[in-house]
Amino acid sequence: MKILGISAFYHDAAAALLIDGLPVAAVQEERLSRRKNDAAFPMGAVEWCLDRAGLEPEQLDAVIFYERPALKFDRVLMTLLRSFPHSWRIFPKAMKNLLGEKLWVRGIIAAQLGIPARIVHFTDHHLSHAAAAFLTAPTDSAAILTADGVGEWATFTVGRGSRIGGQARIDLLREVRFPHSLGLFYSAFTAWLGFKVNEGEYKVMGLAAYGTPRWAQEVRQILHRTEDGAFALDLAYFDYHRAVDSAYSRRFVELFGPARDRFEPIDLDSAQGRHYADVAASAQLVLEEVMVDIAASLRRESGLPDLCLGGGVALNGVANARILKEAGFERLFVPSAPGDAGCALGAALYADRILFGQPHRDCPDHPFWGPAIDPDDLARLAEEDGLPFARTGESELIDRVVEAIGQGAIVGWMEGAAEFGPRALGHRSILADPGDASMRDRINRDIKFRESFRPFAPVVPAEQADRYFALPPGGARLGRFMSGVFPVRPEWRERLRAVTHVDGTARVQVLERDMAPRLHALLTAYGRRSGVPVLLNTSFNLAGDPIVTSVAEGYSTFRRAAMDMLVADNVVVRRQGARQEQRLEDVA
Amino acid sequence: MNGWRHPVHRLVWADPRRRARKLLQFAEVEAEGARDLFRAAERARDPMLRRRFFAHAKDEVRHAGLFRARGLALRRTLAEPGPDRALGDGLIPGERGFDDLEVDRESAASLLAFIHLSESAAARAFATYGAVLGHDPETRAVIEQIARDEEGHMRYSRAELSRLAPERAGRALWAARLRRLWRAYLRLALIVADLISRLILTILYFLLLPPFAWVAKRAARKEAPGWRDCPARPQGRGGGQY
Repeated sequence: MKILGISAFYHDAAAALLIDGLPVAAVQEERLSRRKNDAAFPMGAVEWCLDRAGLEPEQLDAVIFYERPALKFDRVLMTLLRSFPHSWRIFPKAMKNLLGEKLWVRGIIAAQLGIPARIVHFTDHHLSHAAAAFLTAPTDSAAILTADGVGEWATFTVGRGSRIGGQARIDLLREVRFPHSLGLFYSAFTAWLGFKVNEGEYKVMGLAAYGTPRWAQEVRQILHRTEDGAFALDLAYFDYHRAVDSAYSRRFVELFGPARDRFEPIDLDSAQGRHYADVAASAQLVLEEVMVDIAASLRRESGLPDLCLGGGVALNGVANARILKEAGFERLFVPSAPGDAGCALGAALYADRILFGQPHRDCPDHPFWGPAIDPDDLARLAEEDGLPFARTGESELIDRVVEAIGQGAIVGWMEGAAEFGPRALGHRSILADPGDASMRDRINRDIKFRESFRPFAPVVPAEQADRYFALPPGGARLGRFMSGVFPVRPEWRERLRAVTHVDGTARVQVLERDMAPRLHALLTAYGRRSGVPVLLNTSFNLAGDPIVTSVAEGYSTFRRAAMDMLVADNVVVRRQGARQEQRLEDVA
Repeated sequence: MNGWRHPVHRLVWADPRRRARKLLQFAEVEAEGARDLFRAAERARDPMLRRRFFAHAKDEVRHAGLFRARGLALRRTLAEPGPDRALGDGLIPGERGFDDLEVDRESAASLLAFIHLSESAAARAFATYGAVLGHDPETRAVIEQIARDEEGHMRYSRAELSRLAPERAGRALWAARLRRLWRAYLRLALIVADLISRLILTILYFLLLPPFAWVAKRAARKEAPGWRDCPARPQGRGGGQY
């Protein structure tokens, strides 16, 4: 069967194509439209997926949307009614939003693709998350936990998945319903800390490491546990369910103080800056406590050794690592795209295995489902701009890159197909020396233009990961898609200064040779040169931009950020310094 | 020619809170414009045009930095800076950048014509702003510096248009003018439509919803927070919208 999965209209729109049970292509719309977190109908992504497989829309057997619009409408309307008359300002906007577009998804898909409406199907938002986590994981049965802001009604679910006799099954057993939401709880703190909701949550996680959770008791008051082991929010502290432009209420501000002015940087040496870090640390701690406790009771209830984790909250690597360590599971599987974009693939897998009852097939265990690069493009661009470039064999290429990084160069690294998901896992990465603390500052300041408190991630070959990082059992698996934050071993922290966060941890990518052989070879060669086979690996983009997809985007970013070297498969371009950049501008 | 607008601009720029807010909004618009131009550079097949777009984009990045720095400096002098956005911001004169330009869908000629007209409008607007900012020489210096750059952008885009599409340049400029006019109409129409729909929906909210709200609130009181059973979805069924 040929099944297209689509997620759209909230954030991170994406499309994924499944043929005979296996993924063929998956890409977020933002990677093609170049609009960060693009939520629009992902026509570009759909077209690319179909082109990749050489299909016309009418050849599709089914299209599946990642959530149920009518149920979502039900939730929005009910929430507005329940908060009457305080919801009067949000009502017109919500109605225009839903009645204007989001309720008519079947018609939109049918019209945009020119296909009959009867082949358009829907699934539950959290079932899509569960399917993305379970049906891509190399396990036969597992407990499932999904957590995000909100789907239709559910914000948090637990269940189990199995594939017995080649037939997959997913049973979501219980759910917590809107407005009680761990994702929206965390987003309220994100907004209060002056970061963009749905984008800045990982900044809160990074900031938390600088603080002490002295506000944990207050946070536990607003996110408390229910008698049946779930959780509930004290809604007096939140406004997201009744306001247009605010996630937290006046009472929240009375408790934690005035929100941070988003225009002013966080000064961690000031009392105010430390207060923000303390509140971030408290919110992070309480989120972890809830996640770990629910996961532990799920472990006891299910008796299963594996847990599949999905939803936006699964991007919280610190919480994931604690779940692995403390909840009793042996393995924790988080897909490369656990958020809403990944639901496109999850929905397609759900349709194939469960809606249409097709036999299960193991998915290739890698994230590289996006558009591939053409290295000839880089050669052409460099030649036209008079930049020196070289086509090299693999060993020479690796020698050159190792040498450059050893001398302090920052390298843009593009290879093959792009990753599906928010992490750069070795095909669209910026690589640098992990031992130089000034490197972290340089990349934050000159390349990524971002806050100095944000850490960078390391990448290490799987066979040597344990030497440098204190990975618990199952940690290597969690690190496969950079989904866990683990301690850097104390004796290596000095040598890994640029990737060791202030609390001595790192969000490490544990790289198996099979997943990205060339990057693995690079790490090994770098280890031979420097004695440590670890590189700083951050996503290949500038602040506010999506990760680069094509060579032209990589080349543009390379020049904008004044990086030192750019690699696209077997083509290498080296920047000759500011004089050359000036010459190009003079020519212009 | 725009002298009749001076009192409006004088009013807009007199209030330091609005001035700071507008400068910060300009910074965002310039940053967006820079993204569009970098995108245009990535798509350009002609090497010279690519370099021009790239240089222009870097100017826009610099402008964003200048606007932001000045906006923040002004903002820090205020006891209460107020919200980032205010009702009516879209109606008062301001920098509109490239107005949601879809770079990927434009030909080089239409893109250059559009840039030429946008930069030309921006240069005129900035000249006007500079003329009413006598009381704030620092902001005036920033705006005048950027206005000079906009004139440079206006010239290069016209020259490139003549170089790349000598026979179609005039037509492209007219088409771009009509599109700008159409977009200005659309912008106004959307604002008016938005206001009307808000009014109607708000009236409906207070007229129609109260009895349903009463029922919904009663039902909500009976719901205890905590776990709920997930809706049953039999295997192989349940592909509908509900």
